[in-house]
This record gives sequence, C-alpha cells and structure tokens, in this order.
Amino acid sequence: MLEFIGPASGLLFTLENIFWINIGVFIGSVFAAIPGLTVILCVILFLPFTYQMTAIPGMMFLLGIYCAGGYGGSVSAILINTPGTPHAAATMLDGHPLSKQGRTKAALKIALYASTFGGVFSALMLLFLGPQVARVAAQLGTAEYFMVCLFGLTIIAGVSGKSMIKGIISACIGLLLSCVGTDPMTGYDRLTFGIGRLYMGLDLAVCLIGLFALVEILAKAELKPDALHLDAKKMEDNGVITKDEYKRMVRPVLLSSLIGSLVGIIPGTGASEASWFSYNTAKNMSKHPEEFGHGSVEGIAAAESANNAVTGATLIPLLTLGIPGDGTVAIMLSALMINGLNPGLSLFTTDGAIMYAIMLGLILVNLFMLLQGKFLTKLFAKVVSIPQEILTPIIVIFCFAGAYSVNKNYFDVSVALVFAVIAWVLRKLDMPAVPILLGMVLGNMTETNFRRALHISNGNPAIFFSSIYCIIFLVLIVVAVGTIVRGKLNERKAAQAAGKEH
Amino acid sequence: MKQLIDRLDARLDAWGEALKGRELRFPSDLTAGIVFALVGIAMLLAMPGQVTTTGGDVVDGRAFPTLLMVVMLACCAALIGKELVKLARKQPITWKTINLLVEVKALVILGILLVTYLLCKYTGLFVIGAVFCVLGFLAFFRCKKWSYYVITLALAVGIWCAFRFGLGVSF
Repeated sequence: MLEFIGPASGLLFTLENIFWINIGVFIGSVFAAIPGLTVILCVILFLPFTYQMTAIPGMMFLLGIYCAGGYGGSVSAILINTPGTPHAAATMLDGHPLSKQGRTKAALKIALYASTFGGVFSALMLLFLGPQVARVAAQLGTAEYFMVCLFGLTIIAGVSGKSMIKGIISACIGLLLSCVGTDPMTGYDRLTFGIGRLYMGLDLAVCLIGLFALVEILAKAELKPDALHLDAKKMEDNGVITKDEYKRMVRPVLLSSLIGSLVGIIPGTGASEASWFSYNTAKNMSKHPEEFGHGSVEGIAAAESANNAVTGATLIPLLTLGIPGDGTVAIMLSALMINGLNPGLSLFTTDGAIMYAIMLGLILVNLFMLLQGKFLTKLFAKVVSIPQEILTPIIVIFCFAGAYSVNKNYFDVSVALVFAVIAWVLRKLDMPAVPILLGMVLGNMTETNFRRALHISNGNPAIFFSSIYCIIFLVLIVVAVGTIVRGKLNERKAAQAAGKEH
Repeated sequence: MKQLIDRLDARLDAWGEALKGRELRFPSDLTAGIVFALVGIAMLLAMPGQVTTTGGDVVDGRAFPTLLMVVMLACCAALIGKELVKLARKQPITWKTINLLVEVKALVILGILLVTYLLCKYTGLFVIGAVFCVLGFLAFFRCKKWSYYVITLALAVGIWCAFRFGLGVSF
C-alpha cells in the first residue's frame, strides 16, 4: 500500500482535482438540501460531465456529490422538518425539535461534524479493507463470480421494495435489458427488435435518466401546491455546542460510524437502513433516551455519522468485486469503466496509483465538505425554498442535454423518455426500480461468468457448487433470503397488530 | 389578456374539480403478476427470432435471457398464486388507487416532454426545445410571476451554453 501513497498523492493534489471536489461537494449539498431531489438523481444528471474528464477528477466530482448529499439532506430536515433525502429522515426526528428550541445553527453543526467523522471513518475503512477484499476477489473463478453476482442481486432484490418477489422480477427485467445489443461472446445481435441503434446496447446513463430522473418530473403531477418556505430568523442563534454535548456525542458517533460502514459493505443496503439502525442503537444505549425525538444531540450525531459512514464502505464491494453497494455507486462504476478501470485486484495493483488517489481523495472530499458546510450552510439553507416552477424545467433540460451528450444523438433522448414511461407504470404497480438499475449494471458480468463457467464444465451445472467459495456464497444467499423473508413476515405481523389496535 | 387567463384558469379549475374525486382501484400485485407474466411469455416467444445461435455451443446466447424469463415467470406465478389464495380465503388483497387528475396531469407533463424532444430533434436546435420546456412547465404550474420566467429562461440558455461551449456538445 505504502508504495502507492506517494504517487497517488501526486496525482490527487492538483488544482483540477481540488476544483472538481469543491464543485461536486457544492452541487451535492445544494441538491440534497432540496426536498424531492435525491443524490442518485444528482449523480445521474452530472454523470455526462465526467465523460469528458479523466478518472480521478471525474470520480472526485461524483464522490463530492455523493458524500455531500449525505450531509445536505439534513439541512432541510433540521430547518423545515422535511428530509432533503430519504436517509435524512432519522436526523429530522431530533434535528427539527432542536431547531424549534432556537438552536438551528447548533443542530446543523452537529450534523456537519458527525457527517464528516462518519465520512472520514468510512474512507479509512475503504483504504485499509479494500485491498484485502480485492486479494480474496482475485482467487475467485468464473463460477464463484457468478455466485457473487447472484448474492448481490438477491439481497438487492430482497431489500429494495415491500415484496421480495417483485424485487426479483425487477432484477430479471434489469438483467434482460443488459442482454440487449451485441452478444459479448458470439458477437451476434440480441433483442434489438430491428432497431439498428440498439446493436450497441442500452446505455446505462441514458436508461437511468429515464428511470430515476424523468420519472420524478412525471411525479410532479402528484405535487401539492404548497411551497416550502424557510424562516430566515431561524439561523440567528449562536450555534454553540457545549462540552457536555460534545462528550455525549463521542460514543454514538463512533458506534454509528462502525455500523454505517458495516451496513454499507452489504450490497443493497444503504444510508437509510444505516441511519435508522444507528439511531435506534444510540437510543437504546443512551443515558438520556427520553430526549430522543425532542432534540437529542446524540440522535442527530448517530443518524448523520451513520449515513455518511456508508459512503466509503459501499465502494468496497464495488471496487473489489464490481458489486455496487447501492444505486448511486452503481452509476459511478460507469465513470470508472469509461476510463478503462475495471473492478478487481488489478485496480489495486496495475492501476494502484489512480485507485489510491481516489481512496485518499474520499478523505479530502469529507474535509472540503466540512469547510463548505462551515461557511456556506446559510446558502444551502436558502436553496431549500427554491420554487418547483423553476426547478422542474431546469431538471428536464439537464436530463435531455445529458442523454443527448452521451452519444451525441437524439435517439438516446427518446430511449430516456421511453424509460420514464416504463418507470411511471412500474410505480403504479409498486415495482421497485433500484433492482432494474443493479440488474443492468451486473448483467454483463453475471451472464459472462455464467456462460464461461458452463463452457468450462461442458454444460454441467455442478460447477456452481464445486468450490468452497461457491458453497460459502450459496449459504450466504440462503441465509440472506431467510433473513429477508423473516423480516418481511415480522413487518407484516407488526402492521397487522397495529391495524387491530387502531 | 388578464380576463382570458382568468377564464382559462376557471375552466381548468372546474375540470380539476371534476377529475379530483374520480379514482380507479385495481389489485396491484395481481396486475403486476399478470403484466410481467405476459411480458415473460412474449419474450420467450420472441427469443428464437431475436437471438441467433450457431447450434454447436454448450451455452448459447439464448440460455441466459431464457433462464431469466423462466425465473420471472416463476415469480409471477408465485405473485398471482399468493393473491388468488388470499381471494379464496377471503383475505384482503393488495389494492392500489389511482387518481384520474394525477394521471391526466402526468399525461400533460409527458406531452410537454415529447414536444420538447420533437422540437430539439427536428429543428436541430436544443435551445429552442429548452425554451419551450421552460414556458410549458411554467404554464403547467400556472406561474404568473414574470421574474420566474426570466430566471428560468436565463438558466435554460445558461445550461445550453455550458454544454455547447463548456463541454463541446454540438446541438
């Protein structure tokens, strides 16, 4: 590792990288602060910009958005009791009550410090754990890789929506979409339905613009006309955090950072799960559990450190195995691959300098997030009340320009529109969209390894149960499915019990 | 002009009120199961025409998509079966309610998106589509603040300039 730190630092500490980190952090904070705009939407919209960049500035820009998005969501949660992003919902429980007590600046400061600590902790986990996992990944063959893909897809399909069956159907659709275009092994066209342009396959960024961004525009049809207004007087407190409060924050921040990192490593789980889990743990371990829900500093610190601790950890399975920890980092994979960087051990050896620059850059991203948060939070707070009338057409223009610029043709814009309509129909049927995204990301890897393994074994499926790694992953799949099904049954029972009580 | 806008607003409000109460209820899990089962069957039927094989391979290009569709059909069968069992036991099944006003509004938004796309494509000038998009959405939200029109149009042109001159995207 040490042999890469020197060259990586040289690659990282350039004016260009510092510039893109700061732009990314700023955009991420602003986007996440606006209720209704998510981090994934922001990353999708700005992904085409990175196509013109090299790997390090491109990844720094996207990581800036991703990490700052973790903090930005807390701004509106604290100020107007509306989480800017779903994972800031736990922060809202104590952030807004503290704001109502006249301590808005203090609540924002706690969220910022906790987010920064969680982010740096997670980046260090990535730096030290990533290469070790990559070494194990290097021992995996095609059959094992297929099982890894299957494991990732099972968990993702299981936790993405209310129904595991619907999640698997969505994942199958995503995998099928990844088959469109030239067969990676024979070169023949597949599932193009006579549309010549489809021979190159469906571009991930274009499909995502439709699935996640344009569908949000269609969802404006559900918008209530009430505007979100921020009371400027709210930010006039001195923002002092007492020594006792700092002391009380230490344990929940440390524990939540660890929980966030562990949750982040598991594919399919994300910042929302981490923040709720950490919030409950902090509440159970606190000496003042009665303060939770009424402006507890421990509550804000736990939720915020956990949701930012996910950021680096989600990159561990992505960079080592090619399995994205969550939807947002799945999109980042294309920014890496367009620069010829493929997940696996080679990323940490052949391309070690670039990879370590990106991992060290993640620490830098969190430090710049702290600086911007300290000096620009008032500005981030103001964007909370940007009217939907202005935001909506601007997002559409970004979507269209982004879809066009991928391959410089309007066919891609029409593909994005088709995917927006499909996503709208899927919403009506309560089908989760995230497994489609991950199916599309993992499709090529899953199919190639599936077919190669069967070629090696001359068509004998026993190859998928032949090695210790295969069996480990098979056991993990069974355990994961069992846990998810049990969790869903418990949820249903709890809901039924609650329904009977009412 | 103001009178015309007021009259149009009043008419739109009347239509909105008429549609607001109209709702459509459907069994979402059962519908999802049937829809995706049909998609799966259609894909399986289309597979021979859509995926060419050489015949000599142990695993050809059809194997993976066929496997996926079989898994999807099995899931659809489970989804449909689960709902049918609930119906047979007279247990409540999963229903979804759709509001007609929301769907009509979504269609109007889709119309704005389609016209924007067509304007961009057939004029070859992205900025024309962008200007229409801004005006279309501000009209959709019934915005009467001129400052919003000025700000949003300026931003739209700014984005076009950023892509055109900053990123070198020629459109």
